[in-house]
Amino acid sequence: MASGAAVLNPRRYLMDDRRFVGVIFLAPALLYILLLVGLPFLLAIAFGFSDVTVGNTELNFVGFDNFVAVWENDIFRQVFSNTVMFTLISQVFILIFANILAIIFTQEFTGKWFARFIFILPWATPVSLAAIGWLWMFDTKYSPIDYLLLQTGFLGPKGILSNSRNLFWLANPALSQISVIFVQVWRMTPLATVILMAGLSSIPTDILDQAEVDGSRFMRTLLQIKLPLILPIMVIALLFSMITMFGDMTVVYVLTRGGPVDYTRIIGLYSFQIGIEGGNLAQGAAMALFAFPLLLALALLMLRTASRAEVR
Amino acid sequence: MSLVELQGIKKFFDNVRAVDGIELEIEDGEFLVILGPSGCGKTTLMRMIAGLEKPTAGQIFIGGEDVTALPPRKRGVSMVFQSYALYPHMNVFNNIAFPLKAQSREKKYDKRAIRDKVENTARLLEIDMLLDRRPRQLSGGQRQRVAIARAMVTQPAVLLLDEPLSNLDAKLRANARDELKEFQRSSNITAVFVTHDQIEAMGLGDRIVVMSQGKIQQIGTPQFIYDDPANEFVATFLGSPSMNILRSEVFSFGFRPENFLPKTLADNPENSRIFHYYIKRVEYLGSDRLLYGYVHGHDNELTLAKVPSNVRVALDVDCDYEFAVHNSDIKFFDRQSGQRIEQQNLQGVV
Amino acid sequence: MALLIWILQNFWSLLVLSFATLVGLRIAYRFRKYGATRAELSHILRRSPFYLVVLIFCFFAAAPFMIMFLHSFKVDGDLYRRPQPFVYRQDPTLEHLESLFTNTAYLDFIRNSVVVGIAVVIITLILALPAAYALARLTGRWGERAGILMFLVYLVPPTLLFIPMFRIVVMLGLKDSPLALIVVYPSFTVPFSMWLLQGFFKAVPPELEEAALVDGFNRVEAFLRVVLPLSLPGIISTIVFTFTLTLHEFIYALVFITNTSRRTLSVGVPTELILGDVYFWQPLLAAALIIAIPVGFAYNLFLDSLVQGFTMGAVKG
Repeated sequence: MASGAAVLNPRRYLMDDRRFVGVIFLAPALLYILLLVGLPFLLAIAFGFSDVTVGNTELNFVGFDNFVAVWENDIFRQVFSNTVMFTLISQVFILIFANILAIIFTQEFTGKWFARFIFILPWATPVSLAAIGWLWMFDTKYSPIDYLLLQTGFLGPKGILSNSRNLFWLANPALSQISVIFVQVWRMTPLATVILMAGLSSIPTDILDQAEVDGSRFMRTLLQIKLPLILPIMVIALLFSMITMFGDMTVVYVLTRGGPVDYTRIIGLYSFQIGIEGGNLAQGAAMALFAFPLLLALALLMLRTASRAEVR
Repeated sequence: MSLVELQGIKKFFDNVRAVDGIELEIEDGEFLVILGPSGCGKTTLMRMIAGLEKPTAGQIFIGGEDVTALPPRKRGVSMVFQSYALYPHMNVFNNIAFPLKAQSREKKYDKRAIRDKVENTARLLEIDMLLDRRPRQLSGGQRQRVAIARAMVTQPAVLLLDEPLSNLDAKLRANARDELKEFQRSSNITAVFVTHDQIEAMGLGDRIVVMSQGKIQQIGTPQFIYDDPANEFVATFLGSPSMNILRSEVFSFGFRPENFLPKTLADNPENSRIFHYYIKRVEYLGSDRLLYGYVHGHDNELTLAKVPSNVRVALDVDCDYEFAVHNSDIKFFDRQSGQRIEQQNLQGVV
Repeated sequence: MALLIWILQNFWSLLVLSFATLVGLRIAYRFRKYGATRAELSHILRRSPFYLVVLIFCFFAAAPFMIMFLHSFKVDGDLYRRPQPFVYRQDPTLEHLESLFTNTAYLDFIRNSVVVGIAVVIITLILALPAAYALARLTGRWGERAGILMFLVYLVPPTLLFIPMFRIVVMLGLKDSPLALIVVYPSFTVPFSMWLLQGFFKAVPPELEEAALVDGFNRVEAFLRVVLPLSLPGIISTIVFTFTLTLHEFIYALVFITNTSRRTLSVGVPTELILGDVYFWQPLLAAALIIAIPVGFAYNLFLDSLVQGFTMGAVKG
């Protein structure tokens, strides 16, 4: 009754209808994404429970065989613990550095633009290319770092660190792990910093002015006002960079290909090596799936934190 | 036939009844003001006339046609927003020309016609020298004129104005009010004006609709609403300072501070009601003295009196005086519903 | 050329000298402005630890890039035989830079990356612009849920998807074709851009769109005529970041494309410029640096707008 004109002319004003336009605007993107991510995701699960290989495309259901095989594989256990360890350790450093840098870059100082340009470079450069720089820095023979250590007496015949002229950054088990973690911290810190900067600059100036009027000095304002206020954003930055790191294999691919032995092999790389290079799609998929529950938990945690932060 | 007719209009947001059953007729050529405190539903009501919100129930007619289901552009209305909503990426000319270009599918305007129309409208509002400027280069008053010009250029049936004066500073506002009224009268357009400012409402409106809690409390000319409020809400909402309300067993009664005068000044004391008034504080407002105090028997209800300064009567703090209100200036209200009660119905009680 | 040689040969002294000059100028400026008083001196002393921290961080961030720059021009003898990494013993040469462009597929990589990047940006804009607007303005609660779903999808890492996607790509006959990347990359660029654009759209006052509706446009036209022009700066920064996301992507590019001349930069440079275990270091380092600098500039230029988009997107409208 009330919408007489719309009944008479149902198609004429669709472009004015909030909901209709909303649906046709959103639908293409939503469908594209769901198709492009949802389908492979389901396929990944199907692969995990099958015996598919590059040569044999038939999907035969094999139950949990792949997952059992993967879990009983000693290498995979090492790989799994590497992944978790690398991710956790690097997050600690990323968080520390990102906090310091975010505080620095929300201040005004001479040369800020240039300093910011420099410090964003590691994040702006495609990872695989930045890793090449580090590959050279860590070179077995010509490493510039080794040269510096040699000149300062840390290396060489009477060296404190080693008698050799080189440290073999990427060939020594412990050093190779440290190197990989270092490069991850190096390239991920800017992103976390930017997220934290956004948080810091969104604190209302009223609150900071009030703190100043109340007689709070720099450190007190920082510890008791700023950090508590950006805590939710800090959690988001943390989870975000954890998820990114978990799903990345570029750094280790370029630096070490997982070596020496398996010391720097991580899940993404191993599943690439088994699944694509080795042709065992089923096992590769099963490996990748192992990390999924962990990732999902992280993502949900992140969303919860984010929605709570919004309420504030 | 009225130009705009609202029948049983309701709008609920989730469980909030923003507009709760409005019946309203707007006559051709009148300046109608919708007045109410913030959150009373007045802006929602106007947005439904514009077509920016769909009513939950009810029908809207403009020029006799049911427009309830029509989008804004099909209604022949135009609107001036509180923030003016000038397009910041266009100059004044293009801002004013925008609706003409937008409607060019129905009525084909050529470039010349558009130029003529824009320039005429701009001249009418005395902004023809600003046509090349961008909105951010304009003062508040100029922006308001551009917004009105943009709304007027299509010669709409109804001009909707959503608190268009509230962003101006106080000095400009009186002037703008005056010009707006003059402009409306000379162009003879039907205007609906939403505001929470009673001075604006009294000054501009041919008729005022007082709204509260999604409902119409009273409709009438400014004078009528001021003198004969339909209920306690209207009585206290209009007037500054607002009407004194004193409560008794079954009813409350109220009188305006300017009608509450020392007995010696009353025109005919025999037709007046006399109160013992204890003055607690006096404020000098230049032309008036504003008295704060208590009427005998109503010791908890602050009562105000507004006495012209040129009246040479000693009125001292902490003293008792006899004050009088003419019987016709006393309004009675039901204590439960707040509705007005006619005096003759109270003969037995008073 | 002579200038370049001179810069390279005196790299460190120039760096230290120019830095010292800047610091000196700055101090001189402050002295002129406030006078060379004790208060001013103590102010400078108090600020110096802050600058020292900044300097240390900058050094760590820039170290590999400085080395890339310094070593791209060394002749083999200077680079390998007598490891003196920080100075030039022999004259710098452009020979390696030349060979990067003439003897390798570097130009192909650049072209492929640009083609893929532009195509992905176009697809992303077509899908994400209306979708982000719908999320920002048109849809209510279910739109919000769709937004969260999108965000979750963005978090599904490529390491989980590349194996089945590889299968699909092979099935569709898209292996070794840039089309494979063009089709797959929107899976992460669209959610990212939507999130960003949504923030920019929310910053447009809703009254402007309503004015356009009253003035005679429908919602689609109001979006095209009012919202899009007003969000142009945000859209440009979205384009920049979408493009660089495609430039960064490694795993899909590694798995889907194995033909040298079809590869993109991120995979081509670290895999194809190395023959077995023979590394051609100078061209390799130059290849990385040539990409890093312009992308770094773009990031710095659009960083503020990125931050603004993200914070706006997080605040409910």
